[in-house]
Amino acid sequence: MDRIRRFFRTPVAGPLLIMLLVAIGVALSTERFLSRQNLMNVWLQVSIIAIVAIGATIVILTAQIDLSSGSLVALASVILAGLIKKIGVPVPMSIFLVIGMAAVLGLVNGFFSSYGRIPSFIFTLGTLAIFRGLAFLYTQGAPIFSVSPQLNPLFYRTFLGMPLPFVYVVVLYAAAWAYLRYTEGGRNIYAVGGNQSAARLSGISVNRVRTKAFVIAGLMSGLAGVLLTARLDSGSPNYGQGYELTAIAAAVIGGASLFGGHGNVIATLFGALTIVLVQNGLNLHGVPAAWQEIALGAIIALAVGVDMWRADIAQVMGRLVANRRGTAEAPASESRDRVGTTR
Amino acid sequence: MGDADALWELRDVSKSFPGVRALDRVTLRLHESQITALVGENGSGKSTLAKCLAGVHHPDEGELYHRGERVEVRDPAAARARGVAVFYQESSLVSSLTVAENIFLGRLPRRGPIVDWAAARREAARALDRLSVSIDPSRMVSELSVAEQQLVEIAKAMSERMPLLVLDEPTAALGPDEIRRLHEVIRLLARQGTSMLYISHRLDEVFAVADQIAILRDGRLVGSAPKDRISIREVVRKMIGADVEEHFVRDRPEHGAPRLVVRGLRTPYVRDISFSVAAGEILGLGGVIGSGRTRIARALFGIDRILEGDVSVDGRPVHLGSPDDAISARIALLPEDRKADGLFFNFSGPPNISIANLAAVKRGPLLSLARERRRTGALMDKLRVDRRAGDVSVRYLSGGNQQKIVLGRWLFSDAKVLILDEPTQGIDVGAKYEVYGVMNELTKRGISILLISSDYPELLAISDRVAVVRQGRIVHVADKGSLAEHELVEMAATDLAKGA
Repeated sequence: MDRIRRFFRTPVAGPLLIMLLVAIGVALSTERFLSRQNLMNVWLQVSIIAIVAIGATIVILTAQIDLSSGSLVALASVILAGLIKKIGVPVPMSIFLVIGMAAVLGLVNGFFSSYGRIPSFIFTLGTLAIFRGLAFLYTQGAPIFSVSPQLNPLFYRTFLGMPLPFVYVVVLYAAAWAYLRYTEGGRNIYAVGGNQSAARLSGISVNRVRTKAFVIAGLMSGLAGVLLTARLDSGSPNYGQGYELTAIAAAVIGGASLFGGHGNVIATLFGALTIVLVQNGLNLHGVPAAWQEIALGAIIALAVGVDMWRADIAQVMGRLVANRRGTAEAPASESRDRVGTTR
Repeated sequence: MGDADALWELRDVSKSFPGVRALDRVTLRLHESQITALVGENGSGKSTLAKCLAGVHHPDEGELYHRGERVEVRDPAAARARGVAVFYQESSLVSSLTVAENIFLGRLPRRGPIVDWAAARREAARALDRLSVSIDPSRMVSELSVAEQQLVEIAKAMSERMPLLVLDEPTAALGPDEIRRLHEVIRLLARQGTSMLYISHRLDEVFAVADQIAILRDGRLVGSAPKDRISIREVVRKMIGADVEEHFVRDRPEHGAPRLVVRGLRTPYVRDISFSVAAGEILGLGGVIGSGRTRIARALFGIDRILEGDVSVDGRPVHLGSPDDAISARIALLPEDRKADGLFFNFSGPPNISIANLAAVKRGPLLSLARERRRTGALMDKLRVDRRAGDVSVRYLSGGNQQKIVLGRWLFSDAKVLILDEPTQGIDVGAKYEVYGVMNELTKRGISILLISSDYPELLAISDRVAVVRQGRIVHVADKGSLAEHELVEMAATDLAKGA
């Protein structure tokens, strides 16, 4: 009992609950949701966006934002396809090069928005256009089909009976969680996001930490681009459209604060699942794609709203709870703030 | 019923913030044509009182009366509607607008729906002219010096022609001539009927301009008298209250070798700064706000550019081009604003303490959360930090506990020199003694402390030596005991009106 109560105080509980509610809702309202085929589909769909969301979360934790991740996915995809098909570089080598390139482009994002003092919102808005433009330039607008028979297995094989995308997501999330919780670098990310000035006075190089967050985000976008190319056995400059928004929304639904310093990467995974479940539910109900776009936009706006109004919501909830119990338990009223975010 | 003679009356007004009782049943009357000075040390509640009148803060208890009528001042707009104009200590100018736009912010003169810019510039020029200031009203505020901005802000408050004008530390950035002109205008406005609340801790100024002097200490009004019935000495005694030394004994560890040595330091703000602090010694820097104390600290922490001079730590010369340089030279700074620059509100106590020395809680390449809890917990117990700090955000702790945590951070790290900028500002008297205790602990470990404090009794009781800073130079260095408090107050505060 005590353990359950403690679990509900962790930052993972809320997003998990929301995800389960959405899942139950979709399961009750449709017949096909619980079919093996559909659940598999959901998972394949979420895996790529979930990987991008790791990067989004880490960047948001440092009180920055990365809008270029979707475009970077597309650029990684076409470069990978080009390296393999047009130039004939071996597949493993190509993957290695593409992920390296994505990390370097993340470094560019990080360098200019920290050392260069261009707000990350603006700078990555620029690279959002630039990366996508480069992807079109490289392929002259046309997708590259049938890249290599070696690619598909990277996505569709299983490992010890588990689909590979599941393995990737679990491994990457476990690594990100451990990095944020158990390393100095991870702790510094929370510190920089929590109070930049105090972090600087504590001897942390704020610019380096921020740049590192963007490099991680670049790596994740690169990986996502590779997986997307593997899944479809093709590279296209149109891939990854809007991934940045979905990834940011996943982080925010998972409880990450756009002000930085608050957030949990495991909760981000539940945020990503929530979004994909909503999309899946709308699909199963035959809602047109246009309405799905609108729904996603509304979810993002609502999630950010909840982030901004969190203090007020906590106050109202606290008052409701206190009234019911008849106690005068003080709600956490002062400003927007949560506790124990590194846990 | 209020006092119908008084323009404004505060009756039994109390206001608390988390951890501090900022105002404790204060009763004060402000009359037309009268200049009331409000004096008191930092953290005594002066600004809080001003903000209650201005509608920024809301008293927890007590009433406000306006011309004998009980009123509620809900927000700054309500205060303005009742004729209260305020000059704030913190700038409230919009730096991206012009001087004229700032002076008439929210009340630009209009001709129909169109802003009458010619009138705005003319009126702004007239308002500045009264202070004998020549600033072009069409200049951007961002281009002005700090002193000029302050003058614009004063002109703004005055141009509103309100029956009550509250001036919170209006002279902090001004030179002697500007202060003299400001005082002339204040007296003129008072003769024309304006009631004035003049907040300052420069006593010579207060005596030069005020009719009535009210003294605050720890949120309580401890005295109020017409200027000619009270002396500077008495005001100082009332401001200070009980002697710090009666309650606090500084352990004086054997001082080691000179640790921090500064020779001939010059920056754009201070010059000829030379001193040394031994291991385990506390050197106090006394002086009024704007005297250059904080500027010395900023230079030593690599924030202000050093133009000339040498700094060495443990005999090794150090280059101080940035805070990073200072930190690698083991110089740490406890900032004046612990909320904005010291605390991580997204962390509970342990990560706040360990952040400057995470190596101490590592096991191999990874952080050991258990070790972090154990080590920081032991330290927090020793400093008697609120037990809740282990689990909740430091936001929910009192000011004293917060300060102990920030100090604990440097106790936990391997800093050699610690610069403390107003370490007891805004915390309760009881918690102050605990902070002093932490300072004892720090020096026992051989850390050298450079203490900046506007709380003179504290400065004199805690420091082993005191350096008096005035107009960017160290004018006097005294050993503990050889400098009486009134001497320090006079030395630090009487430079302007009398000395100039």
